[in-house]
Amino acid sequence: MRIPSEDSFTSRLRSAAVAARVGLWLGICFGVALATGLISHYAQGDSQPVPLPTSPSWLYQVTQGLHVVAGTAAIPLLLVKLWVVFPKLFQPVPRQVREALPTALERGSIAILVSTSLVQLTTGLLNVAQWYPWGFSFRTTHYALAFVAVGALLVHIAVKLPVIRDALTGDVDDTAHDRPNARAAGPVSRRGVLVLAGTSALAAAFLYTAGTVPGVGRIAALSSRSRKHGIPINRTAHSARVVAAASSSAYRLELVHGATSRALSREDLVAMEQRTSTLPIACVEGWSATGEWRGVRLRDLLDLIDAPTGRDVRIRSIQTFSASADTVLPANFADDDRTLMALELDGETLSMDHGYPVRLIAPDRPGVMQTKWVSRIEVL
Amino acid sequence: MRGMRGGLIALGAVGMAYGAWLLLSRQDLGQIVEVALWLAAAVVIHDGILAPAVLALGWLGGRLLPRAVARGAVTVLVLLGPIVLVAIPVLGRFGAKPDNPTLLDRDYTQGLLGFAVLCVCAGVAVALGELRSRQRTVEEEQS
Repeated sequence: MRIPSEDSFTSRLRSAAVAARVGLWLGICFGVALATGLISHYAQGDSQPVPLPTSPSWLYQVTQGLHVVAGTAAIPLLLVKLWVVFPKLFQPVPRQVREALPTALERGSIAILVSTSLVQLTTGLLNVAQWYPWGFSFRTTHYALAFVAVGALLVHIAVKLPVIRDALTGDVDDTAHDRPNARAAGPVSRRGVLVLAGTSALAAAFLYTAGTVPGVGRIAALSSRSRKHGIPINRTAHSARVVAAASSSAYRLELVHGATSRALSREDLVAMEQRTSTLPIACVEGWSATGEWRGVRLRDLLDLIDAPTGRDVRIRSIQTFSASADTVLPANFADDDRTLMALELDGETLSMDHGYPVRLIAPDRPGVMQTKWVSRIEVL
Repeated sequence: MRGMRGGLIALGAVGMAYGAWLLLSRQDLGQIVEVALWLAAAVVIHDGILAPAVLALGWLGGRLLPRAVARGAVTVLVLLGPIVLVAIPVLGRFGAKPDNPTLLDRDYTQGLLGFAVLCVCAGVAVALGELRSRQRTVEEEQS
């Protein structure tokens, strides 16, 4: 079989007018994913020079939901985009060095853009289904490649800017930037391709990510999560190896403020004033579910050890080997009236998998940092 | 325009350099090599397997199928193809954990089949629409 040349591709659907439009949607998806991803990364950091707001309590739920929606919608768009521009892979390389160098740089940046985009979307997709067939750190790699992919995208936009501007201001059937032999009518029109690509993107995003959305979650047929079993669980007590310690009668919640400390049993906590907060658990994987939590206000516990307001608090879990087992709760979250050390969820005693004997629940906080099986609260 | 393009290229280059530094400085060599393998494999799988497979389908469809059927087939391919790829992680249940019934808690085969039926219906509707509009054109020419 001979290697095709750019001119082997004759469909008029492979046009800059189509590529620029799908590319625009793709760019919007990447922009949304980058912005929301940076928010999530910042929210999970141990120190936040500028604290995130605690209100509205659904903010993280929305930004992280958007992150996963944008990434999933980008998959069909990227596949269509690559189909449209595929002939460019077979463009000849200029002979002269003066022309060859910029061409090589541009095509190198395209190679980086395509490979990092494919890997970003794939690893994100797999993370939602908790499938990790790799040895690298998902969070570190996804964070680093985001900068590479968006950097390469900016270079790509800069190189193509005149064509993009022409294509987007012109008609979709315009042929000004097409190869002369790309004239063959495809089975569908250019508008048809755009409608199909957009529909496929919306369908992918809905089916894969809407599983916990009230009302429509049931028909989101490819979602990894649902509300069937109540609020979904990420790490079970068994897999966190906390069952023995969490169910032991020797369990105490330790409160520490400098030299002052207290140790409370679960009965001590139950005997304190109980408050109710209706707050979501919002996972980095995009799902979220709101529950009615009941327990002791964190501020009441801090008052027991004479902690002043405005102090960050370190929350530690019985579980030891997870990164989320030892996190810092910023002062504005610790002092918020809705932040609880929860003992009940939706009218029932907290289950072991939801963090029995006691877990943290705070507004607008990534789910991975809503510490379960809390063993120690230390004022910093 | 020139200044804007230069600025975008500079910003993009800084972004790429920062990302590369993050990638190289925060993991051990084995992990970095694996990321590089994934980056290479992604291009090879797309450009070497997926894209040629779609090209072959298009080539065959263009020769074997009448125009109306081809329209329907393209509709099904663009709507369903990407969704099948998106569904692989949940269809295979690769991340399932025996002690966590709240993860991967649906029948994904059934769900995907249901969506495929919808796509085929859309394809048939598009093909019929094409046939009807062509018939109308013929009638108009005859009258």
